[in-house]
Amino acid sequence: MFISENPILRRELFSRLRSPKTFLAISSVAVVSSLLVLLRWPTDASIDLMSQGALQVFRPLAFALATGLMMLIPAFPATALVSERRRGTLALLLNSPTTPFQIYLGKFAGNVILAFIIFSVSLPALAACYAMGGISFVDHLGPLLLVLLGMAIQYTAVGLWISVIVNSADASLRWTYAAVLTLSFLSLGPTIFVGKLSGIQSLLAHWATAISPISALQSITGSQAQASEIGIATGWSEFLVASCVITLVLSMITLIKLDPRLVERARPTGKVIGRKATTTPFYGWFRRVSFLVDPQRAKGNIPWWLNPIMVKEFRTRKFGRLHWLIRLISICGVSSLMLTFVAATGTVSWGVDRIAPTMVLLQVALLLLLGPCLGANLIASEVESGGWQLLRASPVSPIRILTGKLMSTFWTLMLMLLATLPGYVVMGYIQPALSGQVGNVVVSLVIAIFMVTTISACVSGFCRTTAVATATSYAVLLALFAGTLLIWVARGKPFGPLLVERALQLNPAAAALAEMKTPGFEQYRLIPDCWYLCLGISFVCLAILSIRVWRMTRPD
Amino acid sequence: MHEHVVETRNLSKRYGDFVALDNLSIHVDRGQILGFIGPNGAGKTTTIKILVGLSRPTSGSAFIGGVNCSEKASQIKRLVGYMPDRFGSYDNMRVHEYLDFFGAIFGLKRSVRRKRIADVMELTDTTYMQDKFVESLSHGMQQRVGIARTLLHNPEVLILDEPANGLDPKARIDMRQLLLRLASEGKTLIVTSHILPELARICDTVAIVSGGKVRAFGPLDEVMRSLCPLRSYEVQLANPEQLDPAAAILTKRLQASEPITLSRAERVIRFPTVRSEDELAHLLQGLIAEDILVSQFREVASDLEDAFLSVSAGSPGHA
Repeated sequence: MFISENPILRRELFSRLRSPKTFLAISSVAVVSSLLVLLRWPTDASIDLMSQGALQVFRPLAFALATGLMMLIPAFPATALVSERRRGTLALLLNSPTTPFQIYLGKFAGNVILAFIIFSVSLPALAACYAMGGISFVDHLGPLLLVLLGMAIQYTAVGLWISVIVNSADASLRWTYAAVLTLSFLSLGPTIFVGKLSGIQSLLAHWATAISPISALQSITGSQAQASEIGIATGWSEFLVASCVITLVLSMITLIKLDPRLVERARPTGKVIGRKATTTPFYGWFRRVSFLVDPQRAKGNIPWWLNPIMVKEFRTRKFGRLHWLIRLISICGVSSLMLTFVAATGTVSWGVDRIAPTMVLLQVALLLLLGPCLGANLIASEVESGGWQLLRASPVSPIRILTGKLMSTFWTLMLMLLATLPGYVVMGYIQPALSGQVGNVVVSLVIAIFMVTTISACVSGFCRTTAVATATSYAVLLALFAGTLLIWVARGKPFGPLLVERALQLNPAAAALAEMKTPGFEQYRLIPDCWYLCLGISFVCLAILSIRVWRMTRPD
Repeated sequence: MHEHVVETRNLSKRYGDFVALDNLSIHVDRGQILGFIGPNGAGKTTTIKILVGLSRPTSGSAFIGGVNCSEKASQIKRLVGYMPDRFGSYDNMRVHEYLDFFGAIFGLKRSVRRKRIADVMELTDTTYMQDKFVESLSHGMQQRVGIARTLLHNPEVLILDEPANGLDPKARIDMRQLLLRLASEGKTLIVTSHILPELARICDTVAIVSGGKVRAFGPLDEVMRSLCPLRSYEVQLANPEQLDPAAAILTKRLQASEPITLSRAERVIRFPTVRSEDELAHLLQGLIAEDILVSQFREVASDLEDAFLSVSAGSPGHA
């Protein structure tokens, strides 16, 4: 069977292309790429043979396309198999004469072709860069297109692999975006050790760096000098090799998992140990204390002073259960203390000025990873499961529903922030002059939490399915947080300082980085304007969400 | 004046040009079970939504326990236990936690809630599954938990949308017994179902709706008599060779409006009729007089399906 005759491919591709979301994605890519070229298009009829003008457009355009690909493409494969399994259609496909390989190939090729279609609208912008002079097809355009293709196949393989092993669409989206962020950014972590390591460790660190498209993009856009400053020494060809290896390995694992016997998994029925009625008071008390983090411990009745909607939200999400929350908070606390310890002991020659931005970036990464997922679940999952109808039929007020749901997300994210506070306290102790700045950083992060919660909850209010709400929340928040940093990356070329400052004022993480005098952010004074702006956006989202919830609870 | 527990008066609901409900008037008394029947899109769910305060009528009014459903929706929600056709499960939540959550949003105090959950679990026979995750339960078990949830705040009226849908025969029998038990305890029930023989076994009253209008409403026997006036009789013969002579005798004595049908495999002749018992006795006597060996002569009882079909066949839009 030719690949073009693959029924899965045809269905995947045509159903995606019919979706308004795809139209929106294509339009966004076209508008952003056109605007970037328009900003830097020469006003006089001359060709820049030194390539500076073209590179000034090509560089942010390349990074914008890569960021767009990171935001848009993983969402499709992440829900491809898990949604089919939840609907029961995967079992139908597996029990048909279509082989698992054809199913996988159809899904895989459908997503890669879709990525190609979405990003093909940027070709005129890339051609315009080429027309400006100084950009060659062999050194710039060709490698960029290959890197984008490498990213598309790598993220598709990652998304499909996660989609086959998890049980829900939103969990699949969460883990896929976590994997994409890890592959793209955290894989750069070992680069700082490359200079100091030797032998096999150095080789491993080198290839870990090659997994990230950042190093490949830097070599294509002519930023090798900045890259080598932080130890990156890999090029785009190594990225392509790494992408192909990852894709092949993950595809094989996914194909093994795509077995009818493995798809039909028994649902965990759940068992509880230590129900109070069956134990003596002392034994019950002992178990209650010692099994504080036991997931199978019986839960008590909801006390009157807690909002039942909030308790329900905590109990129904995996990370909301106490044992998971404690693990998550512990990881945050230990990581922040470790980083602070590194600063205090002078390991790897880092000081507070480098540790604080690292902590801020790690916290924001965690916030962006978990926040959209938690927030997007709030309304959409309730509507999808049919629980919203039950809430409407109960006497609970819209205000109580809203506060319970928002608080469940806000407190989870706040707990993670609070866990890192000891690290900031130690930092303030090492450099007392930093105390005021640390305070401002913490306020900025609290505002970031509020913003992430309200925006993702607002998105959730307008979506019928959790998967769509989660993917949209990720796209909106990544555009806000990563998009503004992308504008900052292209500061001066082509974006002017005023535009960059205005863009950064939308990003509380940038305000925190500026407050800690992070290199590149020293000249910006973002506080308090950034706080007012972000709080304003959050309150607008909150108002829209309140009206939406009120309308959704009213009789039709 | 007699107060009905549930009453709708000329209830109408329009969505633009589409008329979902057209002057629907029904009523149910305490301890009664109303079977609410109709084809898909007949207006059953619209009526239910108005009764539970989730929708407002375009005109007319609905009352539960004397309280206007559209004007005092919050009060209505405490009077009614509503089980929609979708269960509404939550991931990672155990049955006990699920019931506790719904008890809490209905404002039951913690001590009251604890006792109430134990009571409803015992009543619905769900105690043994209290520690299981709700999403892991079978459909029948989920329906039981759904009924337990509707009973938590001890409502006067229970409105159950398709409670027997997707249940196996054993679960259906259990469900039937549970509903009868609730009615015997004084609860008023409104039950919709596509499984009409099930409804016929438990309902005191039926309302058949189609195209937004009530086509038949009243006690089950009355509705059956009004919708199925022709009684169906069958004659079973001991000797299959006498089938044709017997058919000839019956055709001669019956009228054109009483056509006979033969089932040779069953050795049975069937015919619809409005004749009285005496006339039918003469008919049987005529067969015996002609030496026809009749092994059975009996009325085939019409069921709710016949009544439903007779209504839906005449309703607009029915193919």
